[in-house]
Amino acid sequence: MTTIQIEYHAPTTLAQAVALLAEHGAAAAPLAGGTDLVPALKYGVLRARHLVSLARIPGYRDIATTAEGGLAIGAFATLADVARSPLVREGCPALAEAAAQAGSPLLRNRGTIGGNVCLDTRCWYYNQTEAWRASRERCQKASGERCYVNPKQNVCVALFSADTPAALIAVGARATLAGPAGERTVPVEALYSGDGLRPLAKGEAEILTGLVLPAPPGRSGAAYLKHSARESIDFPLLGVAAAVVLSPGGTIASARLAVTGVRSAPCRLPEVEAALAGRQIPAEGDRELGRLTARSLGALFLTEAVPHKRHLAGLMVVEAVTRAARQAQGRSTS
Amino acid sequence: MKHLIQLTVNGQTHDLVTRAERTLLDVLREDLGLTGSKRGCDLGACGACAVLLDGRPISSCLTLAVEASGREIVTVEGLAQGGALHVVQEAFVEHGAVQCGFCTPGMVIAVKGLLDERPHPEDAEILEALSGNLCRCTGYVKILDAVRTAIRRMSGGRGCEALAADGSDLRPSQATRDRSGLAAPATTRESRA
Repeated sequence: MTTIQIEYHAPTTLAQAVALLAEHGAAAAPLAGGTDLVPALKYGVLRARHLVSLARIPGYRDIATTAEGGLAIGAFATLADVARSPLVREGCPALAEAAAQAGSPLLRNRGTIGGNVCLDTRCWYYNQTEAWRASRERCQKASGERCYVNPKQNVCVALFSADTPAALIAVGARATLAGPAGERTVPVEALYSGDGLRPLAKGEAEILTGLVLPAPPGRSGAAYLKHSARESIDFPLLGVAAAVVLSPGGTIASARLAVTGVRSAPCRLPEVEAALAGRQIPAEGDRELGRLTARSLGALFLTEAVPHKRHLAGLMVVEAVTRAARQAQGRSTS
Repeated sequence: MKHLIQLTVNGQTHDLVTRAERTLLDVLREDLGLTGSKRGCDLGACGACAVLLDGRPISSCLTLAVEASGREIVTVEGLAQGGALHVVQEAFVEHGAVQCGFCTPGMVIAVKGLLDERPHPEDAEILEALSGNLCRCTGYVKILDAVRTAIRRMSGGRGCEALAADGSDLRPSQATRDRSGLAAPATTRESRA
């Protein structure tokens, strides 16, 4: 139950939806599956008073191969559609794995991939009931002045913890945005501001309509690994995606790594990527790579066990890279 | 702001007026009196509110009622036909796959959604399909047994192999059936076989 009253709009074209978002500005939010937005409404932390439903806009739900041999995924496709799509499972297993691990079956049947990519950041002091939050001064993300997690800098560090963006970033996917000025595409990683308060770098009236994955290069593979407190119905404490390209000699030619659950945006690990280029596929428990990963994470917030999370990141990077490399080997021989 | 919505629930169409911020669960329980779908966490984490929306199991507590307008909803109340329990419900009763019962409607709906799509799932698929439904009485073993029985029965088998290794019959006695007003499973089984 909620005490917030909202205005609900059900446009039947994308142009109408964009116009409604433009008209109401910061007071409006697009509503897709609602699995993240409705809890925010119930917690009383949703700032938007106008919800612009995307449910009655036809299209933007298809999953198809592109002329270049990549994948085009409509942003309104549900996570269940993405997880079970034969095209995604074959063309980008890392994305299918990430989609299949988000939330629970009930949530994936409603939640969309676009909504997962545009997920709000989360924090112990924000994702709470009104009664809980009323016991103390409001935090920045709940329109207050303070940050309880990062009091020294007093900057919001709410965590971004969606699963699919890590996989999308690792394989170099691009996002299509429709807005008042027309359509544009950006790399998925450019969708994020890094700001815990307003994690998306897109315009208020822009709607994410699609994701385009490039054709996987020859001898390439990608994998996504998730670690969470519960196996189901949980956000990742840490999610690691790796995409690697092998050289003809079997060493790693290049690697892209993306991590979720660490900062206010999903992020690449450039130092680790550089260290992987040109070397052998790492052995299990590769300590050097693990230490480098742990260092490259930067300051960690919102976790009770920082050393544990760093250690885990090292292990998960090694495993994700190994799995991706194994997939690449399988593809080059077939 | 109030909206006029049309919900088809268990085959019956209802025209309703509701505020936009109310959920499908609110409308089902409070306006239509269908209290089979339970309000557990009310945040999408427990699965007790599961209903089928256009055939797929979803959390009705996270779906705004206005979003469900014009769509087909099946709640746990819509599964029994002509006074006879659905095969899945019957199997839950026979196996005692119900402890406090609060999670049961959601479990049954999740299983129905799975079997409508995949009539012969593997155990791993059953567990996956139920991974969004929490039972805090820890009754998962019997629930899994019940689902296996329902699957066998729906595909024509008698389905009692898993009931008891020692050959004893764990089905509710006739007296229990009479008290609970349940249709006698023996009869329904024959008619389905």
